[in-house]
Amino acid sequence: MPDTGYLPKEKVKDFMRELAKDAVVYAPCLEGDTVIFRPFSEERTLCFDRPANSPPKSVIYPQSEQLFAFEYKKDPEDHQKMSVELKADTNVPGMVIFAARPCDARGFTIYDRVFIDTDTPDPYYKKRRENTLIVTLSCAEPSPGCFCVGVGGGPAHKEGSDAMMTELEGGYFIEPVSEKGKAILNKSMIEDGSPYLQKAQEAQAKAHEAVKNPFETDKLKISQDLFNNDAFWEEAVSKCVSCGACTYLCPTCYCFNITDEQASGKGERIRSWDACMFFHFTLEASTHNPRPTRFQRFKNRVGHKFVYYPEKYDGAIACCGCGRCIRYCPVSVDISEIVSNLTESGQKQQQTAGSAKK
Amino acid sequence: MTDIKNPYLPELATVLRVIEETPNIKSFQVAFNDPEKMKGFTFQPGQVGQLSVFGVGESTFVINSPPTRMEYLQFSVMKAGEVTAAIHNLYPGDQVGIRAPLGNWFPYEEMKGRNILFIGGGIGLAPLRTLILFMLDNRSDYKDITIIYGSRTPPDLCYKDELKEWEERSDVNLILTVDNEYPGWSKRTGFVPTVLKEVAPSPDDTVAITCGPPIMIKFVLEGLAQLKFRDEDIITTLEKRMKCGIGLCGRCNIGSKYVCKDGPVFSLAQLKEMPDDV
Amino acid sequence: MSTEKVKEAIAKILPDVETVICYQQGFDGLHTTPLFIKIPEEINGLIWNPLCVQNLTSYLPSIKKKVGIVVKGCDSRTIVQYLQEGLIDREKIVIIGVPCTGVVSVKKVLREIGHQPVAGVAFDDNGNIVVKTSKGDRTLAIADVCPDKCATCQYPTPIVYDYLAGDPIKSDKPKESVHEDIRQFDEKTLEEKKAYWEKELEKCIRCYACRNACPMCICQDSCIAETREPHWISQKLSLTEKFMFHMIHAVHLAGRCVECGECERVCPMDIPVAKLKKKINTEMKELFNYEPGVDPDGKPPMYTFNVDEVKIKEHKL
Ligand SMILES: Cc1cc2nc3c(=O)[nH]c(=O)nc-3n(C[C@H](O)[C@H](O)[C@H](O)COP(=O)(O)OP(=O)(O)OC[C@H]3O[C@@H](n4cnc5c(N)ncnc54)[C@H](O)[C@@H]3O)c2cc1C
Ligand code: SF4
Ligand code: SF4
Ligand code: SF4
Ligand code: SF4
Ligand code: SF4
Ligand code: FES
Repeated sequence: MPDTGYLPKEKVKDFMRELAKDAVVYAPCLEGDTVIFRPFSEERTLCFDRPANSPPKSVIYPQSEQLFAFEYKKDPEDHQKMSVELKADTNVPGMVIFAARPCDARGFTIYDRVFIDTDTPDPYYKKRRENTLIVTLSCAEPSPGCFCVGVGGGPAHKEGSDAMMTELEGGYFIEPVSEKGKAILNKSMIEDGSPYLQKAQEAQAKAHEAVKNPFETDKLKISQDLFNNDAFWEEAVSKCVSCGACTYLCPTCYCFNITDEQASGKGERIRSWDACMFFHFTLEASTHNPRPTRFQRFKNRVGHKFVYYPEKYDGAIACCGCGRCIRYCPVSVDISEIVSNLTESGQKQQQTAGSAKK
Repeated sequence: MTDIKNPYLPELATVLRVIEETPNIKSFQVAFNDPEKMKGFTFQPGQVGQLSVFGVGESTFVINSPPTRMEYLQFSVMKAGEVTAAIHNLYPGDQVGIRAPLGNWFPYEEMKGRNILFIGGGIGLAPLRTLILFMLDNRSDYKDITIIYGSRTPPDLCYKDELKEWEERSDVNLILTVDNEYPGWSKRTGFVPTVLKEVAPSPDDTVAITCGPPIMIKFVLEGLAQLKFRDEDIITTLEKRMKCGIGLCGRCNIGSKYVCKDGPVFSLAQLKEMPDDV
Repeated sequence: MSTEKVKEAIAKILPDVETVICYQQGFDGLHTTPLFIKIPEEINGLIWNPLCVQNLTSYLPSIKKKVGIVVKGCDSRTIVQYLQEGLIDREKIVIIGVPCTGVVSVKKVLREIGHQPVAGVAFDDNGNIVVKTSKGDRTLAIADVCPDKCATCQYPTPIVYDYLAGDPIKSDKPKESVHEDIRQFDEKTLEEKKAYWEKELEKCIRCYACRNACPMCICQDSCIAETREPHWISQKLSLTEKFMFHMIHAVHLAGRCVECGECERVCPMDIPVAKLKKKINTEMKELFNYEPGVDPDGKPPMYTFNVDEVKIKEHKL
């Protein structure tokens, strides 16, 4: 079997139908102007020409899901007494994420460290992750706000992908990354990729060149002085309206809430996305809130991604540079600009520019 | 694929006894429904549990009975919001869920052979209680034990029976205070940090362990610094809004530390290394 | 050119205020972002062009110090509504009004150019925006890519201001056109409407950008979308919950929504949520003959409940 494959454009749907035989295939589909990952079906319009508005994170980590169901039951012997029954179901079907962007796939590796590589792994996430094949599509050109190369990724970076497709004139060059990914080369629509290897590599290199790196050095070095300076944050993000757009659309944000819902003795405990940008996220019952202001919450967001997470996980940055938080921020807050101002070189620039401040 | 334990699934338990400690604090003694589970259960003083009232939610409480007394687990709950209100409505026989033990614990091994100073305020005595009882059950391992405990008014003092017991013991130095004069109260008055200054315990070979409302902790820490306690010898347990209790939901962080997993017990030396959004 | 006039006005008021809120270039050619000017040197960073879409007034209620602000006609309606509801102190606000000929909807431009990255934009003298992309330039008439609100704008000149940067402009759009889209939508059958909203709201990710960007949404941190007391909405991602949230959002804005369109502009999932609020405003206009944010001395009808409302009987309520 060849090491790489080639999928002619006219066979893409056949290929997806083939994958859909034993898995639910999530692919970027057009709804109005919006691109969303939806279970593939014939009526839907696929859209591969720009990154989806929302990343495919909800496929593996749904925005809300049941942790367990509970039911109160009357004790048959003693009607005063109630017993409780709990039921948890961690079964999931096989799934494919098709034509996600490389940054989206890389996002899952950031979750893996938290949800899987721990002594209390999350069974829901883990099972879905194991049952999902991720076929990415390398980016031909960056979208507004993209800065993947600044955080160690790139438009054809393979971390997190099981296989990667690269668009060429008449079809897609396919490179398997994992064992799981290799298996798709067996499908009947896939031709030998080797004649296309060079073209694909050229396309990937060209795309890489086109992505901006907002940070001067390869290795981001955040100035602790600035990071701990409240005035920096007040100045940088006084425009933020403290919504959930940047975190809910982020392929690396994973915070969640746990709440109970019940009706007449029956109900469920659910977990749902939550975000450190919301006021109530850290609000305690005593009404004390350790992060009551918008700038403190924003500092936590940047801090988590660029300082705290790297501290915990060997320098890994919890941002894949997908640019969504920039593109979809109501007030165009640019995290890459803020982080670059936080670096030591950025700090120097600011000092010269800001020396006239009153 | 190997099946892993579901860390979100609580163990079912039954309320055995409810003790009214103060007008807004009740203690709940609970035991797992599965006797095997109860027998096999171990924890360390200072660790917490998530107590569920199914349909309302889950909240974090210190297991304030000591690991040396294992007929039941005791949680003391101050009525503060939705879940705690529901817990206050529980009666013996009612079903709850428990996820425990969670978090780290008091470094009691390192405290052996030293003097111990407890400083607590209000419900903050709960986490201290587990360690106090544990130390009393292993009394010979520790030198002097001093407890400074205060609340707003005398009825707000928790564990009144035990306070009496400790007061009578010759191997415990208990100092009680309430904020203001109160009919029938003949002991000290004044805020805990002020009393700490008056008592002025020596920092020599002493570990101070404190828990209480944030404002009390703030001034107690200042007071201890004035008394020349070393940062490593000042230990506190933090409270943060929590959900998962296992370091996943991202809620309880202070910088890169998660209070539910890396805490709740921290030394002042550790806290000084952390960002200040406490 | 208004830009220079705006800069002049800011220079004039700056000594008197803590900050002036205006616009600067954002992360790409199509986006602007707020600029908070504190010192004269920062005035140079200001831009003023049809990309200055954001309604900056939403920052006003949370700022305690004296501030200056740059507003378009529609933005000034928020200020009027704030004044009516006592949410801001007029003494603490210096308003620089700019007569406006219409702005650009970034979403519509992106649709026109096929969502390509934009290298830069320019504006010509004939009311066009020229968008530069790697595939060449596209010239679009601003009138074709303006937000719906501009197409029927009645108040191009700010209703309240302290300085006016430019000559007042009168609206040439018929008053009836304002609610025309709602009347047309109302022609749909109930089933059609239901299907429409189900399809749209299905996309909602409950990020609350629409709520937090809304200048008139004042509960924010204690919004029923997140509270457990009252527990009207759960954290599930079901259509019911989303629908409930949007209905409550809309109802809380009855007779208060100033139709600035922020909720719809900021929605990352392109959901036309402004339509819900506009529908209610249309009803408010019918029932109470009230239009939010146009009369500084007016009272919002929901603040002045009157058993004998003039037209209530006609509506068989
Ligand atoms: C490590 C630790 C130990 C604690 N030990 C005790 C104890 O022994 N006795 C006691 O009375 N209280 C203790 N608390 C505080 C207790 O957890 C909160 O008072 C309680 O969660 C409030 O829940 P509620 O639903 O009644 O309040 P609501 O305001 O209705 O809160 C809703 C949800 O927010 C969360 N939450 C709110 N406030 C807090 C908080 N301060 N800490 C954690 N989660 C919060 C809970 O998940 C709760 O379900 C402890 C907190 C922590 C973090
Ligand atoms: S940065 Fe933007 S998207 Fe994020 S919370 Fe602030 S306003 Fe919302
Ligand atoms: S922080 Fe922004 S750029 Fe980074 S991964 Fe998240 S959404 Fe993408
Ligand atoms: S802490 Fe904030 S930035 Fe980090 S994952 Fe959670 S929501 Fe995202
Ligand atoms: S609605 Fe009127 S004032 Fe507002 S941006 Fe459009 S044209 Fe300008
Ligand atoms: S901004 Fe859009 S996606 Fe976000 S909550 Fe509002 S309608 Fe939903
Ligand atoms: S409570 Fe979830 S991370 Fe600490």
